[in-house]
Amino acid sequence: MSFVSWQYPFFLLAVVALYWRLPLRGRWWLLLGASYLFYAAWDVRFVALLLTSTSLDYFCGRAIAGERRPLSHVALLSALPLGWLIVCREVLPHLPVDVAWPDVGGWSLAMAAVLPVAFTLLYAWGWRLAESRRARAFVTLSIASNLAVLGFFKYFNFFAVSLVTLLAGAGITVHWTLPTILLPIAISFYTFQSISYAVDIHRGKAHPARDFVLFAAYLGFFPQLVSGPIERAGRFLPQFETPRVWDPVCLHQGLRLILVGLFKKMVVADNCALVANHVFDPRTPLDGWWAALGVVAFAFQIYGDFSGYTDLARGSARLLGIELSNNFQFPYLARGPSEFWQRWHITLSTWFRDYVYIPLGGNRGGTGRTLLNLWITMVVAGLWHGASWTFVLWGAYHALLLSLYRLATPLARLEASTSRMGRIVAVALMFGLTLGGWAIFRCTSLAQLTHWVAALATWPAAGAISVLRPAGWVLVHVAPLVLWQWATVSRRDEAETDAWPWGARGLAYAVVLLLVASSAANDQEFIYFQF
Amino acid sequence: MPSPRTPARLTTRAFLLAVGLLIVAEGVVRLFFSSSMSGRFDYGYNPTAGFVERADGTVSLERSGGRRFFPQRFPVQPPPTTYRVMVVGDSVPRGSSLESSYARQLGSLFASEGALCEAWNLAVPGYGVRRVQVVLRQALRYHPSLVVLHVNDSNEYEDEREWRRSREFQGWHPRNWLMKSLVFRRLYEARTEKVSWELLPEAVRGRQGVNDADAEIAASMNPARLAEWGDRVRTVTRESVRLCTEAGVPVVLVTQARRTRLADGRLGLDDGGLDAFAQSLTNRTVAWVAMSRVFRDADLATTYADGSHVRPPAHQALARALRDTGLLESRRAARAP
Repeated sequence: MSFVSWQYPFFLLAVVALYWRLPLRGRWWLLLGASYLFYAAWDVRFVALLLTSTSLDYFCGRAIAGERRPLSHVALLSALPLGWLIVCREVLPHLPVDVAWPDVGGWSLAMAAVLPVAFTLLYAWGWRLAESRRARAFVTLSIASNLAVLGFFKYFNFFAVSLVTLLAGAGITVHWTLPTILLPIAISFYTFQSISYAVDIHRGKAHPARDFVLFAAYLGFFPQLVSGPIERAGRFLPQFETPRVWDPVCLHQGLRLILVGLFKKMVVADNCALVANHVFDPRTPLDGWWAALGVVAFAFQIYGDFSGYTDLARGSARLLGIELSNNFQFPYLARGPSEFWQRWHITLSTWFRDYVYIPLGGNRGGTGRTLLNLWITMVVAGLWHGASWTFVLWGAYHALLLSLYRLATPLARLEASTSRMGRIVAVALMFGLTLGGWAIFRCTSLAQLTHWVAALATWPAAGAISVLRPAGWVLVHVAPLVLWQWATVSRRDEAETDAWPWGARGLAYAVVLLLVASSAANDQEFIYFQF
Repeated sequence: MPSPRTPARLTTRAFLLAVGLLIVAEGVVRLFFSSSMSGRFDYGYNPTAGFVERADGTVSLERSGGRRFFPQRFPVQPPPTTYRVMVVGDSVPRGSSLESSYARQLGSLFASEGALCEAWNLAVPGYGVRRVQVVLRQALRYHPSLVVLHVNDSNEYEDEREWRRSREFQGWHPRNWLMKSLVFRRLYEARTEKVSWELLPEAVRGRQGVNDADAEIAASMNPARLAEWGDRVRTVTRESVRLCTEAGVPVVLVTQARRTRLADGRLGLDDGGLDAFAQSLTNRTVAWVAMSRVFRDADLATTYADGSHVRPPAHQALARALRDTGLLESRRAARAP
């Protein structure tokens, strides 16, 4: 169920209305049911994967903290994915509802059947290890199982195809029939949140959830399930454990965040998408003007899309009294790549910093080692976005930028500049470099990227005229966002309007509502759902 | 995010102001713009068909769906000695411009022969027989001396689709709730027509629109669907002719002929069986002009702009053929003192 679907407001309203009437444990059950319904609306089979991560990490988390559970509990709860798939196969198709239920294949059932046996054995084996090694073993088990799920569903075909291509290049022809693997939505986000949960318990930064329903509600929490923010247990879990008291402020802040999110998504992103999709269609003949306009449009599309999603997620959670992390802070005002990653998809970049870059050694081993760590982190972060070489290249491009800004003194000085002119130049330069990255990100293949780059070599005068009107279209839809950001830039939160006079706020809300309504028919999905 | 300035009441002044502004905007739009947009989501099936009577005693042609008439305005009552011709149909009689369409050409012909005549082009592109009949019902309210009914069978897919959409919009579905508000609807239209159409090239817009061309082609290859559409064209056209007859208005049926490539590679015309059907309806007050006959000896490569639409000189030829039916002459003779 998408945030911009017609069903979502009713769903959210029902959940919020019920939530505040229930006792704490009832709220966990409600959030669990609502989250799984929300997720199953895409594909009921996806729920089995979420259950897999949930059951494994629940027991791993408690084991890391030294809490042993009976093997019967472990076996029973890790068999939940199998149980759910059996329900999908044997029960749901017989319900008297007009729904095209997806097929549950024999392989899925077999894999789900192996899970409780394998995990129970591993769990029992883990507890036989010496206490000094046990916690580390369960952390490893959690990381490995989450990465295995992610790797299989997201990257198996990518690496298999790449291997076939590599072998073909070496003159070896293989004829493999690759399985059709569906990429479950949200998998990249909840597997990362699961990993951080286990690692943070091990590091003593969080405590394990002592109730399975609580943990399942925490990991599957519908506002942030599909595209983040990727939360940390130390900050997020206590919000579930503590009874929240109704406060109208939650309503005000939640609705405002939702309004701003809808504005970013439906007015900015979806309208810029019209131009970006045209330019990045391989069939479109391009010149430099169109190529440049396309990437600018995409820059605002992806920003509006993802930060809009985040605001919608934060707003929805706020209505339930829960505060999600801020994921965006005016990223296009960054003066350098380092600052850009402190402003763009903040919860992902801090995740990579804390769980990849720093464990690799961070900047503790000299320039060469630091740069190597940086490159590894950024390439992996690029690959996280999708199973494609263009994403790997995008990660490498940002690693290159980070390296350049570290090594080239004038760039480092520019990034640190405090003068007005210096900041303007730094922001403009970084925005231009970011656009280069977005071109790599948006192209679906290296061939398309070559086509886009080649277009930059031709700037015909006639092209400048033809691009004027569509440029006007982009400007019309970006200008309100720029205006909004200009008015909120001092607040460090893109949706913060409390400092405005109430009259200005009321007028702004009315105008934004009108803009959202006039763009309501675009009906485009969020970009980050595919990751 | 919590701020000391955030009030703790259920509603805030800013929220109330926003709601108040939207209510005022809705009221203003309902007061000043409702006539020009109330039928937008009836997809051509609004009973008014987009005919709006003004306070000054004229009728203006607005929209009743996504499609529009050529902008025209005429008095409710024609002047006493003036003959009023109304042409209803689809994009073929509509033509590429109002002046070059056979409706206006027919008016000019009569005028050149000394008759006081006004001719109105009430054709709307994409309209099939059902929506054409909605327009016809309105046209008959405004005292036509002659109706020209262009009969075509190539828009039935769109007619059906738009009927479905209009029913959906009138239903309960929450997907449509937003557009029930006229201020949202007005803004949506303004954005689409004044901003989107102005600023985005067709190539860009085309990707965004719902493209059901494949479904249309599939439907048009289905013999059962074609037979169903053919039956509908005949039934509804017969009913339209009856409406004219009951209103005492003579009618000329213009049957469409499509340009096709014959087996020997030459261009030919295909009336799809409409000619025989129209001929069966003719009587003292119902005449018939067949495009297949008018253009029998014409150079089809230059007469037609595509498979269905004809160029301005062909509109002139159709206007002459319409005049030659003599229906308006007989009407004038009958009304002569």
